[in-house]
Amino acid sequence: MGVFLLMSNEMHKVLSIQSHVVSGYVGNKSATFPLQVLGFEVDAINSVQFSNHTGYGYWKGQVLNDSQLGDLMDGLKSNGLDKYSHLLTGYIGSESFLLRVVEVVRHLRTVNEKLVYVCDPVLGDNGQMYVPKEMLPIYRDRIIPLANILTPNQYEAELLTGEKINNLDDAVRAMTLLHAKGCDIVVLSSSDLGSENHLLALASSLIDGKRKCVTIKIPRFKQNFTGTGDLFTALFLAWMSHTQDDLKASLEKTIATMQAVLKRTIEHGKSLGNEESTPGNFELRLIQSKEEIEKPKVVIKAEVLNI
Amino acid sequence: MGVLRIMSDGIRKVLSIQSHVVSGYVGNKSATFPLQLLGFEVDGINSVQFSNHTGYGYWKGQVLNESQFGDLMNGLRSNGLDNYSHLLTGYIGSESFLLRVVDVVRHLRKVNRNLVYVCDPVLGDNGHMYVPKEMLPLYRDRIISLSNILTPNQFEAELLTGEKINNLDDAVRAMKLLHAKGCDIVVLSSSDFGSEDHLLALASSHINGKRKSVVIKIPRFKQHFTGTGDLFTALFLAWMSRTQNDLKTSMEKTIATMQTVLKKTVDYSEGLEIENSSSRKFELRLIQSKVDIENPNVVIKAEVLQT
Repeated sequence: MGVFLLMSNEMHKVLSIQSHVVSGYVGNKSATFPLQVLGFEVDAINSVQFSNHTGYGYWKGQVLNDSQLGDLMDGLKSNGLDKYSHLLTGYIGSESFLLRVVEVVRHLRTVNEKLVYVCDPVLGDNGQMYVPKEMLPIYRDRIIPLANILTPNQYEAELLTGEKINNLDDAVRAMTLLHAKGCDIVVLSSSDLGSENHLLALASSLIDGKRKCVTIKIPRFKQNFTGTGDLFTALFLAWMSHTQDDLKASLEKTIATMQAVLKRTIEHGKSLGNEESTPGNFELRLIQSKEEIEKPKVVIKAEVLNI
Repeated sequence: MGVLRIMSDGIRKVLSIQSHVVSGYVGNKSATFPLQLLGFEVDGINSVQFSNHTGYGYWKGQVLNESQFGDLMNGLRSNGLDNYSHLLTGYIGSESFLLRVVDVVRHLRKVNRNLVYVCDPVLGDNGHMYVPKEMLPLYRDRIISLSNILTPNQFEAELLTGEKINNLDDAVRAMKLLHAKGCDIVVLSSSDFGSEDHLLALASSHINGKRKSVVIKIPRFKQHFTGTGDLFTALFLAWMSRTQNDLKTSMEKTIATMQTVLKKTVDYSEGLEIENSSSRKFELRLIQSKVDIENPNVVIKAEVLQT
């Protein structure tokens, strides 16, 4: 098994601020189990508790406001429970909550200066924003400089850099711009720069002045899934930590697990045999994919880009 | 009763209504990961979200009220997400919430008549009640008759039966009384009439008129842990399901995992420079015990009682 389990002196403890759904796999429900299986303690702050994800069209539940987030942080601080190796944030629904996250990053870094902040800057997808537009400047000007690992999709990278991405060169340039804003590692978790059959994911690091870029082809699925971005970011966090920032290996392992989970999800969805494909039929088969999370079988290799 | 028969091709999906703590391992934080590792989907309804468990003396967070709980159930129902193999409940803090649980059991059983309801009737410990005393008659008269598996500690079994338990015979009689109230399987998860070095746990089943009882000796630890009851109940649920209600094997595997987790917790605490009085020192080393959860190494055997 993993060499990483032997490095018992190192702390593997993630504070993950994301949504919780009772049923299904998005947000913390999608991120926690894989991280735990890969040896991380996951302290989850649930920014919402919903019955199910909003893609169903109908849902019920509760939303955590910024002052309640402050309360939880106060409880952790007061008991000396605020030492983390990683902070992970995903979908955040309001400006005030995001501003509170800025304070949380700063505080956690005073407790552990080596804190790795992994930020999925969730703004929208496919040309549509689904958070208030006031959040864009906060991500761009205040969050990104604090983040170590940023995992935007193509649309989010365009919003954050103000530059359209039409080809591989544009994508590399966008990642360069994001590095310039202070972010060590940028992953374009999906882009439509591939082909009809493939998406393209790119990862770029700028550490100690050394730039490195890799790209990987991801077979497209026709089916639409929810929670895949959250799963991607969690897996990438884990593998970057376990491989000491090996960009290529981390991307390969992340994609290998993702593909296995999606394949199993599709097969299960089809086996349910309903004419109409309800969101419930295509909830990620995460619990059933424990082995592929633990030991991803790398089939698709990443390529190092010469830039 | 056929109620407890879990078909091997059936669903393994638990609705778990328990506390959530950001840091540490009690309630759903203690139950979810082991159940997931053992192949169960776990839909957690977090009855509270606290920074840490209350044993620390200081904590912050939010409490779910019964109407918010009702909202979540409404969301699940409306989307057809309410088909569960198991319902698991632990600590519940108010009468009104517990009354809502009664409705939930009835409803879930309408959706799946084979639903197994596993109830840890948390009332108190060591002679002290720590929930409002109005909850006792609710558990005794309304919950127990709905539950399939009940996991009281000695004090709770005394409260629920109204009989003092001073020895093994008393314990067996108490379990019999609980069977008479309609509960197929009763586990006395810990009792203090073992010896100085050992606690005793007992399990008793009454299925199709056939009674079976087993007892197992558990080495005592000097330390006080939190979340162990929640872990016990989750593990027992998993093993009863996986062994088709093999009481002896389920107890042995549950105790095997528990002992390893507690030993790891104690070993780890010895390297920490924290006062012994701190709750932080003895948080369960659950994530680090993954292999021991997946493959419990049975050292202590249970004995079948002739009753």
